Amino acid sequence: MRKILSQIIYQLKKDKSSYISFGIIVLVTAFMLNCAATLLLQVDKAYDKKFENLHTASVNVCIPKFQDNAELSKAITEMDGVTKVESHEAILAEVVVKKFQDADFSMNTMFYNLDAKRCLNCFEIKAESEKTYDNPIYISLYVAEFGEFSLGEEIVYVIEGTEYRFTVAGIIEEMQYGNYGSGLMCTYLPEEEYLCLYNELENSLMMEYSLSLNENAELDKIKNDISSICEEKGVTVVSNLDSVSVKGTRTMVCNLLILLLVSFAMIILIVSVFLSNFRVKNAIESEIVNMSVLKALGYTSGQIVASITLPYTMVTVLFALLGVVLSYAALPVLSQVLTIQSGFSFTINFDVRSLLCAVIVLSGVVTLFTFVSAKKIKKIQPIDGLRGNTSSKLNRKNYFPLESTKGNTQFLLIMKQIFACKKQNVLLFLVSFVLTVLIAFSCTLFYNVVVEPDNFMSALSEETPDVIITPKEGYTEELEEILKGDSSVESTLKYTTGSIKIGDSIVTTFVCEDFSGVKNDVCYMGKNPENADEIALGSALWENYKIGDMVTVSLGEKEKHFKVTGFVQSVNFQGEICELSLQGYMSLCGDVQTPSIYVYLKDTADAEKFTESYKKDYQAMLSDTVNSQKLQKEAQDMYMGITVVLVALIFTVTILIVLFILYIIIKSLLVKRKQELGIYKSMGYTSSQLIAQTIGVFMPVSVIAILLSSAASLFYMPCIYQFVFEAIGVMKNNMEVSFGFLLLFAVVQIIVNIIISVILCMPIRKISAYSLMKE
Amino acid sequence: MTSKKETIISAKALKKSFLTADTEQTIFENLDLDIYKGDFTVIMGSSGAGKSTLMYSLSGMDRPTSGEVYFNGKNITTLSDDKLAVFRRKNCGFVFQQIYLLDKMSLMDNVLTAGVLCENNKKNTVKRAEELFELVNIPEITRKKFPSQVSGGEAQRAGIVRAVINNPEVVFADEPTGALNSNNSTAVLDVFTKLHQEGQSIIMVTHDKKTALRGNRVLYVRDGKIFGECSLGTFTKEDRHRETLLNNFLTEMGW
Ligand SMILES: Nc1ncnc2c1ncn2[C@@H]1O[C@H](COP(=O)(O)OP(=O)(O)OP(=O)(O)O)[C@@H](O)[C@H]1O
Ligand SMILES: [Mg+2]
Repeated sequence: MRKILSQIIYQLKKDKSSYISFGIIVLVTAFMLNCAATLLLQVDKAYDKKFENLHTASVNVCIPKFQDNAELSKAITEMDGVTKVESHEAILAEVVVKKFQDADFSMNTMFYNLDAKRCLNCFEIKAESEKTYDNPIYISLYVAEFGEFSLGEEIVYVIEGTEYRFTVAGIIEEMQYGNYGSGLMCTYLPEEEYLCLYNELENSLMMEYSLSLNENAELDKIKNDISSICEEKGVTVVSNLDSVSVKGTRTMVCNLLILLLVSFAMIILIVSVFLSNFRVKNAIESEIVNMSVLKALGYTSGQIVASITLPYTMVTVLFALLGVVLSYAALPVLSQVLTIQSGFSFTINFDVRSLLCAVIVLSGVVTLFTFVSAKKIKKIQPIDGLRGNTSSKLNRKNYFPLESTKGNTQFLLIMKQIFACKKQNVLLFLVSFVLTVLIAFSCTLFYNVVVEPDNFMSALSEETPDVIITPKEGYTEELEEILKGDSSVESTLKYTTGSIKIGDSIVTTFVCEDFSGVKNDVCYMGKNPENADEIALGSALWENYKIGDMVTVSLGEKEKHFKVTGFVQSVNFQGEICELSLQGYMSLCGDVQTPSIYVYLKDTADAEKFTESYKKDYQAMLSDTVNSQKLQKEAQDMYMGITVVLVALIFTVTILIVLFILYIIIKSLLVKRKQELGIYKSMGYTSSQLIAQTIGVFMPVSVIAILLSSAASLFYMPCIYQFVFEAIGVMKNNMEVSFGFLLLFAVVQIIVNIIISVILCMPIRKISAYSLMKE
Repeated sequence: MTSKKETIISAKALKKSFLTADTEQTIFENLDLDIYKGDFTVIMGSSGAGKSTLMYSLSGMDRPTSGEVYFNGKNITTLSDDKLAVFRRKNCGFVFQQIYLLDKMSLMDNVLTAGVLCENNKKNTVKRAEELFELVNIPEITRKKFPSQVSGGEAQRAGIVRAVINNPEVVFADEPTGALNSNNSTAVLDVFTKLHQEGQSIIMVTHDKKTALRGNRVLYVRDGKIFGECSLGTFTKEDRHRETLLNNFLTEMGW
């Protein structure tokens, strides 16, 4: 080792800038890997720990309070696998939170009594105001972080058309509900305020049973058992939420992030392997005489291979460590961002396992690949090396001999070079191809979110009318007449949502008088229900039923059979949804529910003005009017923002990677070809000819890879998007792969490549023929 | 020698200096020199005297610090890098001590790489290259080999073919036999003599007396100037008179 140390130092010194740029790539990779590994190792644990510490129940069942009775309580307590049951009283209401991140945000919210004693589903007070306010409220971390509410600020809940104003007096953290994905959120009111609300919303009073289970209990079985117990006793189950699905939605973004980080890290890892490989090959070619001298002096091939390989290993270890250290600076920020979405806070701890994982994986892979490419030195006889022969094969092929090949010489010279380093070009081809997959993915995302936003929005949302009007009871027909006469209205639909039971599970149902009139058809197989005895089921129920099957649906006491006409998709509710025609739904629940009227405006109409004028003019008939177009626009803007940032990020990362690759390729080409370039110059070749020649060696390969990859993505990109969307429950997506856009992105990428290359090749201009050769 | 010779390169007040670690080292200064068409000019001098530097300044491979070089009456010191490159491909051929063939190409392709710069019709270039290879005695099989697979003498003879493929006005050779053994040297020098006899102007830097005898005009570089020069007349084998002439000249110059 000591013998080759001086060689290693020589290698490192000789080409400092290349090693540093290589090191930076390693650093970025280690940074991402460590972030991913740390999140993977810690978030899940932190979640489970908090879940334990707050004695969170595994299953929470919610029933109307007036149906609660001792018998039911006893039956639940005596269930197999249940270790502890606690009941909590709460008010459940469909609320609209005003100015939730500057928009009106509608969600189902449980209001609990802050001062009631509880042993299960405890909460932690994250922040509490010292001052006393008139109408204090304690909101959950998710509402505070995502909705951007802080202590002392006013928060307005609209419940059944009435505005309730509270002041945020505290922020609590709980593990029972968490975020929007779970469909339910919670908030706590001090006893006085709780009783106030209690008196006004007596119909919405709920009793919640929280169940702790022993380790062997099956979550799904318990949930089903509870449903059947309730059914037996004629009790309506309003919600039946389990801890696993809550955890799924609360950690979804974190898991996505981990996936993203790992795939980016992998791509960059491939790139860095390619680069180290490339550099080693070039080092061997340009240093072959020196190495052969060393061999002649008596160094063994092993020592020489080590002197080439070890600098890479050392650089990798050093920069990987640096990357890991840097990642610990970024992880707290990351954890804060994740908190916004997951609604629970966690601190990142130093973890030696993820550090080792990042460092060992990286240095192992890099060492392996450099070793493999350095090994070829062993085969070269010293005398061949001294003569500058870097090939172990004695009969090297003279590709495209100029004397007998037709064609432009400048072109033939380039072809000669390309073929002289075939393997390198194969690698370059692969790297360019993979990077283009990234570009094509982001390009398609960009096209569907920013250029054709409807494509993307239709996959994520449910029905998208312009304005939603909720009439007061009995005013529906009258309002419909008025709307029909309104010149700015294109069409209207009666539409509502509700909960029904299919088998043992509670399912959200979307109800419409005529599904053929909806704008966003979520049916991906078969057709929507038309008649009173038809139903379309969500993707979660796909396994259990076929089209044409009869399904038993119940609501409270009533039970009815429906024929399955098709399947529909949904991002929310884990696909546990269904569609019913209005008559079908009415036949279950009678006339109690007043459906909303979905209003579709003409393109020229202004939804905001329309909403305001109806609020003012028909106050007596309306309980609520919502400008849904505005809400959609806001959601769309948010997605657009995220997409633009993401696409810009992917583009920047790709360009940076390309820059690094080109920098290293060109740098070592220039070092390797220095003498060669000098010889060409002495023959009378001009700088621009030589720049063109140098770029010509690798650019065609990269351009072909980019174009082929773009073309191929026309075929595989829909599959990738299908896969991604199916993972979140969207079976049918309208994402389009635009040929024009792909081509545009590919051309931009090629132009950027060429510009970078020309700039990097500029040093060729500066050196004179003579001095080049003397060195 | 009474007939007035045609000047092909003319240097006026030439100066070349290098900046090394903040100190300026002047190699030559205020140097005037004419090179004549058809001459085999030999430049001699002790090591480090500046022979190579002078030759490369004359050929447009390097830029003099000041002064002018006229090539066929045209000032080449003011040309841009690219113009200089174009000038070189038409007017200069180079032969180096280290030979400097492109190692990823066969000997033939090395020659053609230079040849195609001036001649658009590749057939003609190939034909001329074959004639030249014939002239320097490199058989067809060797022409297809890579530089790392041929002997030093063969490589250098290919180097000469490359230098003259474009019919340059002047061939510049910097110790072309410096790396070769005596048999190989003679073969290479014979090529130069043959070229000279066909009217090729040659400028050659050398340390070696035997090599210098091939020329008809010997310049001696010393103390940053042309210290002296000697006219030898045409080369013939076993010419005692020329040998004595050169020996006396070199002794006079302090060799
Ligand atoms: N690029 C350079 N930078 C600094 N000094 C240089 C450079 N090139 C040459 N020199 C110096 O110029 C002087 C002349 O060099 P040159 O190569 O012309 O000598 P030479 O007469 O050809 O010697 P030799 O017979 O050994 O080849 C030397 O002292 C050398 O150190
Ligand atoms: Mg010299």
